[in-house]
Amino acid sequence: MEALKLGERKEGKLDLTPEMADVCYTCTTCSSGCPISGVVPGWDARKAIRSIAMGLEQEVVDSKFPWVCTLCGRCQYACPQGVQLQKTFRGLRSLRERDKVPGPLHKGTIMNYERGNNLGIPKFDFLFLLAELGVELMEEDEEQPCPGFYVPVDKENANIIVTINSKEPFGEPEDMAFWWKIFYAAKEDWTVSSVNWEGVNWGLFTGDDENMKIQVERVLENARRLKAKTILYPE
Amino acid sequence: MRTWFPEAYEEFNIVSIYEVLVDYIKTGRIKINKEKFANHTVTLHHPCNYFRKSKAAFDKEYTEEYRYIVEQIFDKKNIIDMHPNALNNHCCGAGGGAWASPYSDERLTYGKVKADQIKATGAEIVVAPCHNCRDQIMKGLTPKFDMGNCKETLYLWEMVAQALIIEPWSEQEVKEAHALRDAQFERDGIDLDDDEY
Repeated sequence: MEALKLGERKEGKLDLTPEMADVCYTCTTCSSGCPISGVVPGWDARKAIRSIAMGLEQEVVDSKFPWVCTLCGRCQYACPQGVQLQKTFRGLRSLRERDKVPGPLHKGTIMNYERGNNLGIPKFDFLFLLAELGVELMEEDEEQPCPGFYVPVDKENANIIVTINSKEPFGEPEDMAFWWKIFYAAKEDWTVSSVNWEGVNWGLFTGDDENMKIQVERVLENARRLKAKTILYPE
Repeated sequence: MRTWFPEAYEEFNIVSIYEVLVDYIKTGRIKINKEKFANHTVTLHHPCNYFRKSKAAFDKEYTEEYRYIVEQIFDKKNIIDMHPNALNNHCCGAGGGAWASPYSDERLTYGKVKADQIKATGAEIVVAPCHNCRDQIMKGLTPKFDMGNCKETLYLWEMVAQALIIEPWSEQEVKEAHALRDAQFERDGIDLDDDEY
């Protein structure tokens, strides 16, 4: 390995200095309070920040450290010097080539871009499921029957518009009934869009700002098209 | 949204689940059956997104609102805090998309910290106001680690739904809702009696 020349440090792509790294005291507040320090051999939060400061940015990008870090932000919250660790670690994910993003997250992001939800559920299947469950889980529920319940889809001028986490219609559809019961009891005037209803932004996780922005814009587009008054943030 | 579309905050009322639930309870729009979870103990998981990250992004975190909602359902003496909690709480171990990532050993190693925190409270129920945290605690940590007394992981809204007193709508309200529903189904081509599907 070539010796580092500290006087002629390479410019990094992250462009977060000086608030990012040069003010770091190397005090280890970040890595001491982090449950994954040492879980990826040779890496921890402090070392990642120091590596970037030393111009070894690409080594951190190529390691799995930024992906095993859960971006929980505890290090950044605790840092006495205000180093933007969480923002930096997400930035490291952005610098990973898209076809080398681990796991299904990037595929889901593209699926969402093309088909309106991370898991590619077709529109008619989605609408039929909502209609069917509205009867089975709500009107016919034995303990807490909710006569008159249905899922209002594309209803204009509703008070609240919500999004849906695609894992629920895909794998745990009965869990949607928890919010439905609350809305029923409160007699809320609510709606959900028939298209682009995804509530989970995987672009946030993969460091994909462009797709993250598209996803946010779609939530707004739906609210504008349906003239809703209130947007309920996705959980 | 704040970064890219600041105008949305003028255009819409944008709220989190905490504000909606607190509003429903305070204005009496929903009623809670306090018997439902009487004599059960509970602990609160604080997701990074609603506490540290929300604080950093919007200068708003939901410690008081969260606590208020749980106190409407459980007796105060039965709510046992984890330490550290709120802004200093430990991540469940599955944040940042880790639940869907291939690094499951690392995810569980991280989650052991959370499992130990939950066990130390001795509570029977843990509340998770986040899809990701709930999946990690219920499906990741519970089968893998000794969680002590903790037998159940509930979404915050699941806990509220279970404790709801639901009064069925009046005949007139049901009739109006069915008319709207039928019009919607016709528009969308939905026929629930169609055996083909």
